[in-house]
Amino acid sequence: MKSIIKISFFLTLTILLQVSCSEDWLEPEPLSFLTPENVYVDQAGFEAILITLRKNLSYETTGWGHPIAGEYAASDLAVPTYAADFTRLTPSNSFRFRYLELFSQSYEFIKNANVLISRIDDIEWDDQEVRNRLLGEALWHRAYWYYRLVHSYGDVPWSGEELSGAKLDFATYSRTAILDKIQKDLEFAAVNLPVTPAVLGDVTQGTANHLLAKVYLANMEFDKAIVAATKVIDGPYELMTNRFGIVADDPDYNVIWDLHRYQNINDPQNKETIYSTIDRPDAPPEAWSSGVYSSRNYTPSYWKVLDATGNRACNWNTPTGDTLGIGNGDVRLNYYYQYKLWEKNGTDNWEETPDLRRADANWVEMGEILSEILTCREGSPQFGEPLTKELYGSLSDTTDTWWSWPQYITYVPTPNGRLPVGGQADWYIFRLAETYLIRAEAYYWKDQPGLAADDLNKVRGRSHAPLISANDVTIDFIFDESARELFAEIPRHSEMVRASYIMANLGRDGYGLNNFSENNWYYDRVMEYNNLYRSPKLVWYGNIATLEPYNVLWPIPQTVITANTLGTINQNIGYDGAENNVPPLENIEEPNEQTN
Amino acid sequence: MKKLKNKNVFDRFLNRSPVFRGKQILLILLIFSGLLVTNGFALPVSNKVFQQAQILVTGTVTDVNGIALPSVTIQEKGTNNGVLTDFDGNFTITVSSKESILEFNYVGMKPQSRIVGGNTSMNVQMEEDAQSLDEVVVVGYGTQKKSDVTGATERVDAKDFQNQTVTQLTDMLTGTVAGFHVNQSPSAGGVGSMVVRGPTSLTAGTEPLVVVDGAIYKGSLQDINPNDIETIDVLKDASSAAVYGSKAASGVILVTTKKGVKGKPSINLTTRWGMVESTNERRGLNSDEYIKFRQDYFRITNPQMPFNFYTNPDELPGDISVEQWRELSDNPQEDNELEYLTRLRFFPIEQDNYLAGRTVDWYDVVMRQGLTQTHDLSIGGGTEDFSYYWSVGYTNNEGIIVGDEYSTVRSRINVDFKITDWLEVGMNTMFSDRDESGIPASMDFYSNSPFGQEFNEQGNLEREPHGHTFHPLLELYRQDKFRKINTLFSNLYANVGLPFGITYTMSFQPRYEFMKDFRFTSTDPRVGGDPTQDQSQGSRSEYSHYEWMIDNILKWNKEIGEHSFDVTLLQNSELSQRWTSISSNRNFAPTEQLGYHALQLGNAPSVSNNDYKYTGDALMARLNYTLLDRYMLTASIRRDGYSAFGLEHPRANFPALAAGWTISEEDFFNLDPINRMKLRLSWGVNGNRDIGMYASLAQLQPSIWYDGTSPRVGVYNSTLGNRDLSWERTESVNLGLDIGLFSNRVDLSLNYYDMTTTDLLMNRRLPALTGFTNITSNLGEMKNHGFEMSIDAVNIIQENFKWSSNLVFSLNRNEIVELFGDIGEYTILGQTRTGDVPDYSNQWFPGKGIDVVWDYSITGVWQENEREEAESYGMRVGDFKAVDVDGDGKYTEFDDKQFIGYTKPRYRLGFRNSFTFLKNFTASVFVRADLGHIGDYSDAALNPGWESNDRRSRNVGPVPYWTPENPINDYARLDVSTSGYGGGLRIFKSRSFVRIQDITFGYNLPSVAAERLMLKGLRIFGSVRNLATFTKWPGWDPETGGVPMPKSYNVGLSLSI
Repeated sequence: MKSIIKISFFLTLTILLQVSCSEDWLEPEPLSFLTPENVYVDQAGFEAILITLRKNLSYETTGWGHPIAGEYAASDLAVPTYAADFTRLTPSNSFRFRYLELFSQSYEFIKNANVLISRIDDIEWDDQEVRNRLLGEALWHRAYWYYRLVHSYGDVPWSGEELSGAKLDFATYSRTAILDKIQKDLEFAAVNLPVTPAVLGDVTQGTANHLLAKVYLANMEFDKAIVAATKVIDGPYELMTNRFGIVADDPDYNVIWDLHRYQNINDPQNKETIYSTIDRPDAPPEAWSSGVYSSRNYTPSYWKVLDATGNRACNWNTPTGDTLGIGNGDVRLNYYYQYKLWEKNGTDNWEETPDLRRADANWVEMGEILSEILTCREGSPQFGEPLTKELYGSLSDTTDTWWSWPQYITYVPTPNGRLPVGGQADWYIFRLAETYLIRAEAYYWKDQPGLAADDLNKVRGRSHAPLISANDVTIDFIFDESARELFAEIPRHSEMVRASYIMANLGRDGYGLNNFSENNWYYDRVMEYNNLYRSPKLVWYGNIATLEPYNVLWPIPQTVITANTLGTINQNIGYDGAENNVPPLENIEEPNEQTN
Repeated sequence: MKKLKNKNVFDRFLNRSPVFRGKQILLILLIFSGLLVTNGFALPVSNKVFQQAQILVTGTVTDVNGIALPSVTIQEKGTNNGVLTDFDGNFTITVSSKESILEFNYVGMKPQSRIVGGNTSMNVQMEEDAQSLDEVVVVGYGTQKKSDVTGATERVDAKDFQNQTVTQLTDMLTGTVAGFHVNQSPSAGGVGSMVVRGPTSLTAGTEPLVVVDGAIYKGSLQDINPNDIETIDVLKDASSAAVYGSKAASGVILVTTKKGVKGKPSINLTTRWGMVESTNERRGLNSDEYIKFRQDYFRITNPQMPFNFYTNPDELPGDISVEQWRELSDNPQEDNELEYLTRLRFFPIEQDNYLAGRTVDWYDVVMRQGLTQTHDLSIGGGTEDFSYYWSVGYTNNEGIIVGDEYSTVRSRINVDFKITDWLEVGMNTMFSDRDESGIPASMDFYSNSPFGQEFNEQGNLEREPHGHTFHPLLELYRQDKFRKINTLFSNLYANVGLPFGITYTMSFQPRYEFMKDFRFTSTDPRVGGDPTQDQSQGSRSEYSHYEWMIDNILKWNKEIGEHSFDVTLLQNSELSQRWTSISSNRNFAPTEQLGYHALQLGNAPSVSNNDYKYTGDALMARLNYTLLDRYMLTASIRRDGYSAFGLEHPRANFPALAAGWTISEEDFFNLDPINRMKLRLSWGVNGNRDIGMYASLAQLQPSIWYDGTSPRVGVYNSTLGNRDLSWERTESVNLGLDIGLFSNRVDLSLNYYDMTTTDLLMNRRLPALTGFTNITSNLGEMKNHGFEMSIDAVNIIQENFKWSSNLVFSLNRNEIVELFGDIGEYTILGQTRTGDVPDYSNQWFPGKGIDVVWDYSITGVWQENEREEAESYGMRVGDFKAVDVDGDGKYTEFDDKQFIGYTKPRYRLGFRNSFTFLKNFTASVFVRADLGHIGDYSDAALNPGWESNDRRSRNVGPVPYWTPENPINDYARLDVSTSGYGGGLRIFKSRSFVRIQDITFGYNLPSVAAERLMLKGLRIFGSVRNLATFTKWPGWDPETGGVPMPKSYNVGLSLSI
């Protein structure tokens, strides 16, 4: 009996040992997530990376204090109300805007693109066209973020391929090295992408040429910039001059209003869109962004205005709030953007300008005479009357509550959330109006003001703004036009930095590359036009509006510099740590020349 | 939302009150009393049935000092006939003949046998076993005589806690074991966090491994009923733990549950009731303080306004008239009082309540005295071939925060059958049903104004009680939550006797866990919802979990002359799987009535799954060798496999070696007061695998995007894989000395240890340029060394009074020896150094402890006479002032931050005194101290005010602040700024404390009296936990830091039948 047990026992043990000691037993088995090995094996796997990259673009224009809002807060048109003192922008502190986060986030998106770029030739392609289209789009996305990086931070590290392990020896590359690289990549994209999108969201040749034109400008290849921009202008796009889309029949509005309705951005009638984010409230919840926050970032907290009883005269959670939003006054618009920008030669003031972009129907006026905002609190002695500053005990309280804003841009309802902050909505990335301004700028640098004036007039004419002549063309005028046409749309700080580099390169007006952080066009223009940095300076909770020339470039996050323990990443001059800088690298080595 | 059908919210409120929850309790009490009655009548009957014996023997059993010994086992040799002594040491047994032999057994005493002969009355005196510590302790995969143990283990006897209310087993371990650091949990049903000795890892888990009745237990400690626990053995050193190899680096706790004792069924019924309240009454600002705060806040943030602009017109100083006061505003209101309230920005609700003199103390809304109750019933018994133990326990606790509720039913069955002389089978099974549906009130209640109101005129919950910030009970009212966890854990085993003294054990240990978590948030205004601001939301999360382990164990032990061998061989495999489904929806229509029961009624459905699976296996061999009862040697090796490391390093080896020498057994040893002395030395390597089971794989996450026509699924790489990932290894040495003094009246145990952890599992931070935040890697080296002391002493032992003490002391010192191994130049403390580069973001510094604090050393607050200096630092009067180490007029991180302290206690002490008096009374006091550490108090001390404070109360509670009129030096001004401090600033305060943690009292009814009630025993008892705490910590509690800690008063009653 016992020996039977003994035998059977040892048999069991032997079997168990064999089972448990087999290597298969310890193979990790992913159940609810994907791994590169089972996804990046065919076209569908690579398309899936592009889906992510397209979604990544909405980082620019969604959420509270999103990067594009930050671009305007750091521009000649506004200040960041709660963080107006730029000397407090340090490598470890960025207050409310994403002046540090944009850096880290961009590299995450670049990483996504790099995965496709590095793996594209790991599989056999039957159709090289498909391969080139996929590669072209990934290159375009990577170029987009590098373009943003070099014009926000100057010289930055280059990351060009997928990583398989820890890397801590990143080095800084010169801005021009990176621009050269992305120029080459975009040239590949511009011929390998489709002319028109097969489905919405496909990056096209027009999209590539538009960005390429900007990169050529940055590289001072003005002729090539004109060629690239012209390709876009001659492409399947045109400026919208007539009413169209969702409220086309409402006589109170105009084509500028139509152009900015999020439902119209990708309306087939809209020929002006080159590329946009796609973010719809009727999509499944997983696809939603947190919303465009246009009614939070750019608009004042009008709903905090007091009535004669010292109580709030209105509130955002009233029917008014649905249209006017719950402004938080983060991007405090200045006098220049609200009024001065719309005057011409002192005759054509903002109230009388025929320019549709400053039309009554398109703006909410917080003025003494005109007011579209009424006291809405029932029981208030001012019920139904316009809001007024007069009932405040102290006028300093109106800093975050009182300015006029371009409602045609900021108005986005929030069907998926109750706070009227500006919900899920398509938002322009590139629009043909900007292509004209890019070409105008290229003509300007080439000293062909007549051609520049023609392009500017294309844009102005559509808005019924008075036309200009070649004599009116200055770099300041081009940036004024961009402010009028493209508010909340393009990265204004970046574009001003790009122009500043050109000025420095050309040695215009005493600017130079050797002292860029002490003397640059960006700083001078901001100080000239932005009254909030001049006396009386904006003061808000102990925060005095201050900007220094070195703020032309934002600080590289300290966390990145310290985590990169085996290499040196340069800090921008003016910020703590720049004393440790080493000369940036000038050559980007290509791991493999896929694009040739 | 079904509850909402009630007419109004008050009904809901009533539903929360304890009175209406008594139904289950009543039911349980009824069952218990039923049992009592049945047994009361049944006992005499059964006695008659067995009345065949002829001789009645009575007697008393005492120890050498004449102290009665209860629960001594008395057995008629060779029969099933046996009894236990009562609380007075008395026994009565009927034996079959004069030749019968009675065997007396008692733990820690030498067994005795007596022939009955003619003695019908027997007084037996039992002697302590020469080595009273020959108590058998549990070690990994077996038991061992304590005298033979070579490692550092410590035992906690559940009996010491029988007079206390113990909801979770961690409650027994708070401060009681040297080197075992357990913090109390502040919530109604929470489990304290545990660390053995010191933290051995940077990123991987450091919770000890739990073994229940020999089976590794990976479930929640909440599911083990402390009432079922007999003992807990803590394995602290590497060698004892090494048999658990890969999981043992953070120590092992071995839980042994109760077994049936041979004899008639023994029924035990215990009921405990208690009341809990916060140890610290931390109330927010009252109405006067609130007004003062609003004035101070506006005066400091609006310095351009005249000081008296915010002064009450009735309290103006002499140099300003009310008329002048009115003129300070451009538009004063007619009514002065309203004008005043407007200047303070009071909301309409606040104005109304101010004028009507109504206030709310939100502390009383949020905090409460909670009721707790625990009822346990157990039945145990057995025969020669069969033993059983069954228990059921019910616990229902209210926490000290309104809405914190916890209830659980836990049951256990332990049975053991001897089928033949070579085969024994059995099962230990536990089941639990845990209800975690409570929704505690928000601790942000401080931001509510005392002039707010709880309910509006319609009786609806006031969503924003004063016009800004939510009602602290909003979630409790508007959310419907159902969360339940059911678990079943079983250990099925068979022991087979084989030739040559070999035994073979096979055990199978399945564990099941099922969780349901359903929630629904209503927009009904009656419960504080607001359809214009909220969307109705519902979600259902569920998982089922199944895991098992199989152990095959061979044991051989043999004594050959003076040599004694004990060999253990183990083969183990394990599998763990979980399947999780989460679904959610929002915007419910046409009605929200069905709540989470009908998620299909929303318009934005969403689903997701998260399943996982991991596997492991192990082989282990151990030899215990003892020579002449005084030289001991233990050697073991374990080889482990784990799927998380399966790509490159699926398996690793963990060896250990230990030796013991009982010096006092040597002939030359002759030191008088010392009657026992043992030296122990052990070395071993343990592993830690407590890291994400898929950490070695590169993972992709989906990102859903909509192209305007259809949703499309994108992917992105979310983690970097690391194929080389492997075990973290901790190598440790333990040197121990056990000394018995004065005939073991004093028992002293000392341990010194040194642990070195290499291949640290860490989430190594990567520069964001990689697109990832970190990568899980094996890098670096960390050391812990420490000292532990435990003294047990019987101070007084007399007929009517016994006093014994237990003192435990421990300290641990930790050091990161090497981090990433990246050698470079870096600056710290103003010096440029070359070496292993620190990780500033995680505050990990080579050469320093993992808990070291690197920050500015605060010296006070800039005062008016320092204005210029403050401004030169970019600060204002009233901001924090710190040491500028290099005196360069700037606070820069790498020059001026210093190592200012540690966040973990430097010294820990526990001191228990137990008393027995008048035979039937017991009492104990346990005092605990954690000393020498500091805690982060920045959230409160650096509360900047920021813009919202003009509309709410000071949202950090009663934290003082500096004002020009009250220029204190320990807290800064409102609207404090830290931007002058490079790299930021944190504020630390001392967290040292001494607390009278437990006081207990018990009374055993004398057995004579008990018998009259037909009971075997009756005990009444009471206890107080956290009676008093002595500390300088300004927050809620030094142990928890930022959350309130309960103080509890308990009483209980225990019956045995």
